[in-house]
Amino acid sequence: MPKTQESLVADQFGSQAAAYLQSTVHAQGEDLQKLAGIVQGHAGARVLDLGCGGGHVSYAVAPHVGEVVAYDLLQEMLEIVGRAAAERGLTNISTRQGAAEQLPFADAAFDFVFSRYSAHHWRDFGIGLREAARVLKPGRIVAFIDVVSPGQPVLDTYLQAVEILRDPSHVRDYSRAEWDAALARSGLRLGPVRAHRVRLEFASWVARMRTPVLHVEAIRSLQAVIADDVRRHFQIESDGSFTVDVALLEAAKAIPG
Amino acid sequence: MAQQKIAPSPPVDPRLLEILVCPVTKGPLEYDRQASELISRSAGLAYPVRDGIPIMLPEEARKLDE
Repeated sequence: MPKTQESLVADQFGSQAAAYLQSTVHAQGEDLQKLAGIVQGHAGARVLDLGCGGGHVSYAVAPHVGEVVAYDLLQEMLEIVGRAAAERGLTNISTRQGAAEQLPFADAAFDFVFSRYSAHHWRDFGIGLREAARVLKPGRIVAFIDVVSPGQPVLDTYLQAVEILRDPSHVRDYSRAEWDAALARSGLRLGPVRAHRVRLEFASWVARMRTPVLHVEAIRSLQAVIADDVRRHFQIESDGSFTVDVALLEAAKAIPG
Repeated sequence: MAQQKIAPSPPVDPRLLEILVCPVTKGPLEYDRQASELISRSAGLAYPVRDGIPIMLPEEARKLDE
């Protein structure tokens, strides 16, 4: 089998799908409440959870809207989301399998498109954003939540290096400047941005991805020799735990005319 | 009780079929419930529906006969 970005993602996440349902980093967060707040008052809305993973965005917004489509590259994730939705009595969540860069949805099919911790895996970030914009109704809101690169090359290089050592299916944590430019190119007008920081406990961070020992040791070795300003920015702790920048970016699709 | 047909996969919600298109051509899809497939004539592909989940990946789709 040829190795593609998609097959790498499948290798990394397929057998670990349940870990993402349980992960506190993924299951909790004020950002999920914020998304629930965005959909309040839109009881008939149709929402796309793009790259749903363990389905936490879907569970957070489903009680407030008409229907949620949980969409992911991996069948294993969708099976878990389907079961968890049923257990929670959330009958308005359905699942579809596919890639972010080729959405199987009609133009303007959704009132909201939300995507959390997914864009850093996409093979083509720009096409993924354009597809998200295409399936959104004009004037409506898309919201992305992801780890953002601090931008400065010295910090950026370190971040991408540890990310790809941990998870070979990692593509890129984009900087705010990259996000802003890519959103603008997709016909999306940037709205409010909420930046926050998330601490990643090292042992569970690598366990969730079944990172090979050799790569874990490489990350630890890099952390031991890295410059102080990098150590300070990511608040690297003695056990390897560290803290990353996360942003919730809201954007609106332009109304034509 | 009425005679039940053997359903190979749970039916897909018809309301959500309305918004589903071919990921390659963005053209319309026909739902073949018997075969449990979503057929894109424009792409010449039949996308499988497994356990009620439409698999909208071209590499997983069956090529339609010429």
